[in-house]
Amino acid sequence: MLLAATNVLTLPDYLVIALYLAITIYIGVRIGFHVKTGKDFFLGGRQLPWWAIGMSLVATDIGGTDIIGVGGAAYKHGMAVANFEWIGCVPAMIVGAFVFIPFFYRSGVYTVPEFLERRYNSAVRSITAFCWLLFMACNLGIMLLASGKMMSAVFGWDEAVCILATALLVGGYTFVGGLAAVVYTDVIQCAVMIGGCLLILVLGLIEVGGIGGLRERLAEVEQRAAINELAVADTNPVADSEISESQNSSNDSNLNQTSLILPLDTQTPFPWPGIYFGLALILSPAYWIGNQAIVQRSLGAKSEFEAKAAYVWGALLKNIIPIIVAVPGLIALAILPDLKDGDAAIPSLIGELLPAGLRGLFVAAFLAALMSSVDSYLNSASTIVSNDFIRRFISPNISEERLLTIGRITTIVLVIWAVFFAFLLTQMQEGSGIYAIFQTLMAFFQGPAFAILLIGILWRRATGQAAVVALLCGIATSITLYTLNQPSVVESLGLQPLFKIQEPFLYFSIWAFVVSALILIVGSLVTKQEPEEKLQYVYRSAIRRSPVIAEQTPGAET
Amino acid sequence: MTPLHSFGEALRQWLLTIPLSAVRLLFVGTLVVVLLWVLSLPSRETTPLHGATRWDENLKLGAGLALIIQIVIYSLL
Repeated sequence: MLLAATNVLTLPDYLVIALYLAITIYIGVRIGFHVKTGKDFFLGGRQLPWWAIGMSLVATDIGGTDIIGVGGAAYKHGMAVANFEWIGCVPAMIVGAFVFIPFFYRSGVYTVPEFLERRYNSAVRSITAFCWLLFMACNLGIMLLASGKMMSAVFGWDEAVCILATALLVGGYTFVGGLAAVVYTDVIQCAVMIGGCLLILVLGLIEVGGIGGLRERLAEVEQRAAINELAVADTNPVADSEISESQNSSNDSNLNQTSLILPLDTQTPFPWPGIYFGLALILSPAYWIGNQAIVQRSLGAKSEFEAKAAYVWGALLKNIIPIIVAVPGLIALAILPDLKDGDAAIPSLIGELLPAGLRGLFVAAFLAALMSSVDSYLNSASTIVSNDFIRRFISPNISEERLLTIGRITTIVLVIWAVFFAFLLTQMQEGSGIYAIFQTLMAFFQGPAFAILLIGILWRRATGQAAVVALLCGIATSITLYTLNQPSVVESLGLQPLFKIQEPFLYFSIWAFVVSALILIVGSLVTKQEPEEKLQYVYRSAIRRSPVIAEQTPGAET
Repeated sequence: MTPLHSFGEALRQWLLTIPLSAVRLLFVGTLVVVLLWVLSLPSRETTPLHGATRWDENLKLGAGLALIIQIVIYSLL
């Protein structure tokens, strides 16, 4: 992936980057002048417009590493990676908008764990808050490290300087402006990100002769790959038998590049059962409905309608993301079919297509994607610490002004932690393995967390006691499945791995969800029902209220 | 082989018998179901409290468009 030599930036490139950074800092700091309370800091004073939140949702979801990584995955595995942006986002966002967001918004909560306490009990809140905090805090360090590595490799910048500069810059405006700064800078970042990626897409399509030319070139690449496979089979009988055994996979490679639905035995990490059951039905709704970093911005909307509209607008925008992020990976395959590392695809394409001056726009797009994710996780982790731990357990009667101070202090602590963790990871030899493990960590608890959230909203009989057990058992299930799939473990036990595909995190989430859901349902039937007044408090707010009643409750529409 | 392996293998063999055309139908069908559900939502769930005064204030339109694009994509690719 070391392509710094082909991507030398010139003065105009640096000017574009400097302009982008200046605008971002200006917006962040300017918004900071209006932040006076904890509510301003964590929820943008509940004054955020739908269009800004929608763009922020999309920008937050696409990280710096995704810009390079999704294109790289498309280069290696074809368009199937687009499932993560299409069926892995759009339906969940639409369902979330009309079913779940109203529950959260009308209850006036700051965090999803806070909602879970209202529905269940404080143990459920604490466990989910702890899981999310752990994930976000570690992910902050990982994002800084991964992006530092990528900037170092692609642009030739010093890795440590990249980590420190990003942390200072993003930490600075998040510290000053809170959620509002995050959302409004995300708007700029979303626009820059789309613009930068669109530039590569258009220039790439011109280079290959349009969509028809791209398809022809991809067909040639696939044909050549098939011939190479046959040549290997002719000279190696063992390889021949392996090819026969994986006939499905070989066949699917003929339609891999532009197919979204891949067979069960595909060699890619995207077999259809994992995509449909694991991604579309579980991980995606868990992410768009249960991830604090995502949901928090909709809680800061001006009204419930705007919160819903933001999700719908985000879903519309999501439709174009794979086209501008994944298709360039296919263009790279058509133009540069012999790259060994998929992650080199997009940087190589930039070196091939973009003239000096325009590369700066792509670097700005990359930085935008990176910063929009880091700032969101930073602000949301700070919200969880301040609300779900400090305000909940240490200082329940804390004033809004004091909460703002705590939020800002927490932000600083998290920035320091993220930088420390990023440098700690650089000292470890298997940095990339750790990255994969933390991605898997999310799959560990998202399935169970979504199970209790979903059933808690749809079924009044679900109880807090059962939810705690279900949550813990679901997490234990994921960890057990993960362990039983580790080569060292299965070898020592004399077993075969449980799953046949690489990185089967989609399957972990399916089974963890199923186990949690079953335990929650059975456990609820054998435990005492939650008091009616408590359920009333949660469900009453879900009923559409008249404007008069709405004005009397937190989170009400104005 | 543990019971988990046997169960997983049986499930795998069953899933292998499902043709990809049926899988595509499942993907597209799911999106169609979500689309129909959105279209059937009462207008109070998809408009502001005071009701829609402009065409773009009905969220059914945006949500429906997003889902139709998805249906076209999953029907073709």
